Amino acid sequence: MRLAFVALSAVVVHANADEYQVKAAFLYNFAKFVEWPPDVFESSDSPIGVCVVGQNLFGHALAEIVSGRIVNRRSFLVRQISDIKQASHCQILFVSSSERMRYGAILRELRTGVLTVGETEGFIEEGGVVNLKLDGGKVQIQVNINAADQAGVRISSKLLSLAQIIRKPAQAK
Amino acid sequence: MIWCEIELSITPPEPIRAPQTRPRDLTEISLEDLMNIQVTSVSKKEQKLAKTGAAVYVISQEDIHRSGATNIPDLLRMAPGVDVAWLDANRWAISIRGFNSIYANKVLVVVDGRTVYIDSNSNVFWDQQDVPLEDIDHIEVIRGPGGTVWGGHAVNGVINVITKNSKATQGGLVTASTGSEETAEGLVQYGGKIGSKGAYRAFGRYFNVENSRAAGGQDAADGWHGSHGGFRSDWDLSPKDNLTVQGDLFRAGEGQTVTTVFSNALPLHGTLNDPISNATSNILGRWNHTLTNGSDTSLLVVYDFNHRTAAGQVDETHHKAELDLSHHVALGYRNNVVWGLGYRFEADDIRPGYAMQILPPRSSRSLFSAFIQDEIKLADSVALTLGSKFEHNAFTGFEYEPSVQLVWTPSDRHTLWASAARAVRQPALVDSGLQADLAIVPLSNGSFGVRTLLGDPNVQTDQLRDYEAGYRSQLNRRLSLDAAAFWSFYGRLQTMEPQAPFFTLNPGPPHLVLPRFFGNLARAQNYGTELAANWDVNGRWRISPQYSLLRMSIARDPSSQDSSIEQKTGDSPAHQFQVRSWLKLRNNLDWDSTLMYVSALSDLAIPSYVRLDTRLGWRLGEFVELSIVGQNLMRARHVEFSDPRIRQTEVERSVFGKVTWRF
Repeated sequence: MRLAFVALSAVVVHANADEYQVKAAFLYNFAKFVEWPPDVFESSDSPIGVCVVGQNLFGHALAEIVSGRIVNRRSFLVRQISDIKQASHCQILFVSSSERMRYGAILRELRTGVLTVGETEGFIEEGGVVNLKLDGGKVQIQVNINAADQAGVRISSKLLSLAQIIRKPAQAK
Repeated sequence: MIWCEIELSITPPEPIRAPQTRPRDLTEISLEDLMNIQVTSVSKKEQKLAKTGAAVYVISQEDIHRSGATNIPDLLRMAPGVDVAWLDANRWAISIRGFNSIYANKVLVVVDGRTVYIDSNSNVFWDQQDVPLEDIDHIEVIRGPGGTVWGGHAVNGVINVITKNSKATQGGLVTASTGSEETAEGLVQYGGKIGSKGAYRAFGRYFNVENSRAAGGQDAADGWHGSHGGFRSDWDLSPKDNLTVQGDLFRAGEGQTVTTVFSNALPLHGTLNDPISNATSNILGRWNHTLTNGSDTSLLVVYDFNHRTAAGQVDETHHKAELDLSHHVALGYRNNVVWGLGYRFEADDIRPGYAMQILPPRSSRSLFSAFIQDEIKLADSVALTLGSKFEHNAFTGFEYEPSVQLVWTPSDRHTLWASAARAVRQPALVDSGLQADLAIVPLSNGSFGVRTLLGDPNVQTDQLRDYEAGYRSQLNRRLSLDAAAFWSFYGRLQTMEPQAPFFTLNPGPPHLVLPRFFGNLARAQNYGTELAANWDVNGRWRISPQYSLLRMSIARDPSSQDSSIEQKTGDSPAHQFQVRSWLKLRNNLDWDSTLMYVSALSDLAIPSYVRLDTRLGWRLGEFVELSIVGQNLMRARHVEFSDPRIRQTEVERSVFGKVTWRF
């Protein structure tokens, strides 16, 4: 009897998941498919900083997803930041849609070596690298190649093959 | 064997207890599979509201669907602090935080940005507010003043109905229901695409509600039937421009039993069935534009037509045109500024009824408004919002409605807020120009007098100074709490002041007039609290208890002779309690119930009552749903409100069944 319930609920799990749990899983996966310039890390095993700026809709999902995970000998460190000045140890920066009014300001102040991830169309337009776009209830990836070049992050062809590629010349800093 | 059965029934199987994905599972999934997962999003609007410095409650589409309610007033019973009381089958008294009446005038009601509060009457005709419930995205109920953004009617609250984007209502939808009170209801809707950039929906709806019973058991002749056609279209003109155009045509006929004087045949007076007919229509356009620097602008244009005839009252026609511009811009890191400009033009044509007229019968007026509000991030977790509305109205000229809110979010799970605000109720044509013969008073000499209520040409605005504080918490994944407390100080509340009787020859026969003029000679101090919790017991069962407390005290100025005003504290319930339960019996079977207690209304001699509503909804595959709803199951009948002129009727126990088909 119990086994039957387990099987049934497993199907339900895959059909439906919370938007931010899925987005958190994307952020974790990006770490596997992105190469950062070596100088953005203090040492060869210092953790990958995953930062959230703006309203944090992940709750604890992001911390739960990456806790204990190791990618290329690096663990993860999740931080909520309120000011870009605190972003010095961030390698992945998730910019919440609550900040859509200040995408430009955030992206301009950011140093290179950060994979910026947004969640609205305007994010790529303002110079963000990756956008997690909600399309028909599914999360799709958009990558701005020019912004990735300018940020100095190398995105693997595996990730690019799944993404919608956008070429928008980055704005002058 | 028996033991085994018992064990099964008392310990639900684990996986059902936690049907949600555990985040860790997702790390095992490839990017390709992640991209194929259907996600459910908590509305960002709701998340944002969780950090608002005001007492806000959101009624979601799921709440609406599972409530079994068939009209907006019954939906509003769901929100804490809202007092919804049935008078008869087509009329409700609805207010927030006190001052309830069928002419309640302190709550602004807005549908998709269109004000449905009638400016010249200072009230809302709830029997004209027909929105197909399937098309409502959500309803925001803001308790407390909202004048800074919403202007001169948002004194005790704002009810904001927001319909779905037509992109979210593609395909066909047919609903049909029948029951013991609402004998027939049907909706036919279709939504499609227009080219690659546009989407639309169009619908037709019909409903018929039976006569209810008056307290003595006789038929009350308050049946109500209506038809409604409407459309909404949404266009992505460019990645930065969205346009919405929508419109409605609504017709309804209904009955009421009124007790009225016949001013043209004095001293004739009596009680009669008085039919009402409503015809309303509107068209609305809204354009949103995102500017390159990330700021956005929105322009709203509305035309609204409203015609209502009731011989016992007046035959009234209102035309309203409105233009609203708002602009939102971030200034540096710390400031989020919203400002706007508005213009409203209203023209009225009001013909006398049996006992009532409003002078002048034809008039028009303009309302100019501007507002600015700045949200300032003082620290990481502290935001201060300051702003004011500035309005110029035709009766009292300039008015201002400032507010200040402080929001502290020590962590993602907790929000503490406090606010102070001033709000006003702008006077209406009815306050300055009413002439209503209320009653015939027999005099000792055998002749008669007529008690008459007269408007005050020097009418003033009612005003409110309000102080509030609140706390919201997501204690854990399953339990959230929302608490608010308010202290409200009202000044210049409307009173009815008796003046010296005078003799008149016209209209004949010669008689004595016992006049009462509107005045603004009362004050009130109210306080109260609203508490709501939401407990997701196990992913399948959700329980939501709520409690609202309201303490009012009204005092008249020494110069006032309105001895009834102090009794108005007894028009609104001091205590309201409800608990709602949503239970998923099986994946395709919902059982949802609401139990509600409303305390007595001393001024109106309405005893306390308990309502129990329940709904069983069964989904047959993806496209068909059957539901059975029982309302007011506790008692065969009860009353909720009364009015001196319009006869109250009883809310009866009722049952209906509904079929919903999507294709």
